[in-house]
This record gives sequence, structure tokens and C-alpha cells, in this order.
Amino acid sequence: MTIWKLRNNNPLRKSYVTNNIKLNEFDALIRITVEMSKYLYPYIREILKSKEVIEENSVIWNDFNKRFIELIKERFNIDSMRVKKLLNQAENDETIIKSLLILSFCISTQGYQKLKSFLYDF
Amino acid sequence: MIQNKLSFHQSSVSLEIIGLPDYSNNENKDQISIISQWKLTIVDKPLIEGKIEHLGPIMDAFYIYSNLLIKNEIPTYESKLIDIKADNLHIHNIVLKSSKPNVKPLVLKIGNSLLSDTINCFDQLNESPKVRIKKTDITTKIPKKLRFGLNKKVKFFNFFIPPFIAICSLILFSSSFIYFYSPFENIEKKEQIKSE
Repeated sequence: MTIWKLRNNNPLRKSYVTNNIKLNEFDALIRITVEMSKYLYPYIREILKSKEVIEENSVIWNDFNKRFIELIKERFNIDSMRVKKLLNQAENDETIIKSLLILSFCISTQGYQKLKSFLYDF
Repeated sequence: MIQNKLSFHQSSVSLEIIGLPDYSNNENKDQISIISQWKLTIVDKPLIEGKIEHLGPIMDAFYIYSNLLIKNEIPTYESKLIDIKADNLHIHNIVLKSSKPNVKPLVLKIGNSLLSDTINCFDQLNESPKVRIKKTDITTKIPKKLRFGLNKKVKFFNFFIPPFIAICSLILFSSSFIYFYSPFENIEKKEQIKSE
């Protein structure tokens, strides 16, 4: 329930609340993300790998991108310029690849600290 | 003396560390503090191996490059031992230069998947309680180009700040001597002259 409430702080969502996230809640979200990326690392790796061969029109990448766009359209405010950029298939490659790379670099025991510093640098 | 061997694996990459414990520090038999050799095996790529003095710079190069890759648009890392450049968003070009003369540099092309495997192997090594490696200075983790940019910024501020403070203090000091024209005072003076 708390996590469900926390995700509503995202200003890109269709309906969002402007409650400020507390530091411990921010830390908890980072820990959950790191644990999820540890669990999903084989999938993340396969998605990254699917883009490495330029000639092949990868099924894995297309499926992932399709689902990504579906979820954004379903939950995010599509009138926002930032969301429009995420939906643009010609432009969203870099954002997706960089996000996946960040997740794949943070699967170690110290991954929590790494992800936190990556986010602070953004 | 039998050497200890430790391996770290992540999908298609494995890192092998061979060395001895430092008995003078009363370390355990299975500990490695004196690294004699290391091997980085990437599937379908030539074996990378070297001495202990090469391991630190190569690990740093990968860490710095991965940070630049996430933050910068054109990530590039250059050093005496290793160059890493991005061919595009998905492929990275690694040039490993041998310290021995007349040995051609080894050129490798790896994708994002192998790059993240390699970084995770290095993370495992860093976090392993069984291996002790000397941590390099933080300043060395900043690439040369960025360091140059940082120096340039510092120099610019050093050049700009002293005259700026001098002008500000001059304005503040001289403002206390400003004479403001007061029309009432003038009228009173004129009236005095007339009455005389």
C-alpha cells in the first residue's frame, strides 16, 4: 500500500500527488529497485544484447519496446512533452538503453550505494 | 608454495585472481593479498591477463568509462594502458596496450551486455572479503579530459574572482562618500541670500 502511494509521487503520471518523498522512503525505493534488477538481470542483459546486432530486427527488443510504450500510454500523462519524448520510438532508444545500463551496473552488494550516487548525479 | 585461486563469474565474463595470503599480517590460508596474476575471460574474445599493477588501472578505466557512458553523450577514456571509446550506443571499442615493446595492442569490441558483465565481475572482486587490493586515489578516477576541464574552471575563477571582489569593495567604500543633491537645502540657501 505504501509503495503504491509512493509511486503516485511521479509527476509524469496521469494522476499524481505532490507529497514530498521522505529520505527513508527514497532509500526504500532504491533498495527495492536494486533487488528487482538483481532478480531481472538475465532479462535486462538479453534486452541490451538484442540491440547489439544492428542488422537484426530483434524480437526481444521490439517486444520490450512495445510493452514499455503500452505501459506509458496507460499510466503516464501523454500530453507532457517529457512523456511524448519517451513515446517517440526514434528518440527513446537512448533513454531506455541508459536506464537499463544503470540497472545492470547496480546488481552487486554495494548496488544500493551505486544507484543512489547515479541518481544524485542526474 | 601453493597459490590461491579465486574466480568471479557473471554470465559471459569471468575473472580469475591468483596469489598468496600475507602471512606477516596473520591472514588466513585462503586469503589473497599478494596478487601474482589475474585473467579476464570474455566469451568469444581473446584472454586478457596481466600483472597486479595493470589490474587497478584497467578496473578504474572500466568504472570511469561506465560512469561517462551513463552521463555523457560521447564517452571516451584514454590512458597509457587502455583506451575505451564508444562506437555507438551499443558497441564499445577497447584497445589494450602492452607494456612490452614490439607487441601490438589488443583491440576488442564488446557490447553493453559484456560491459555490464565485466563491471559486475569487478564489483564482485571489490566486495570479496577474500581478496585485498589497494584502492586507488579518487582523483585518478577522474579521466584526464575532465580533470583538464576542472583545472580550467578553477583557473578561470582564480582569474575572475579577485578583480570582481576589488570592484565590489571599491563600490561599497566609495558609496559612503556619495553626496546626494537636496533641493530643499538649495531653496533655503537662496532664501537666505534674498533676505540679506
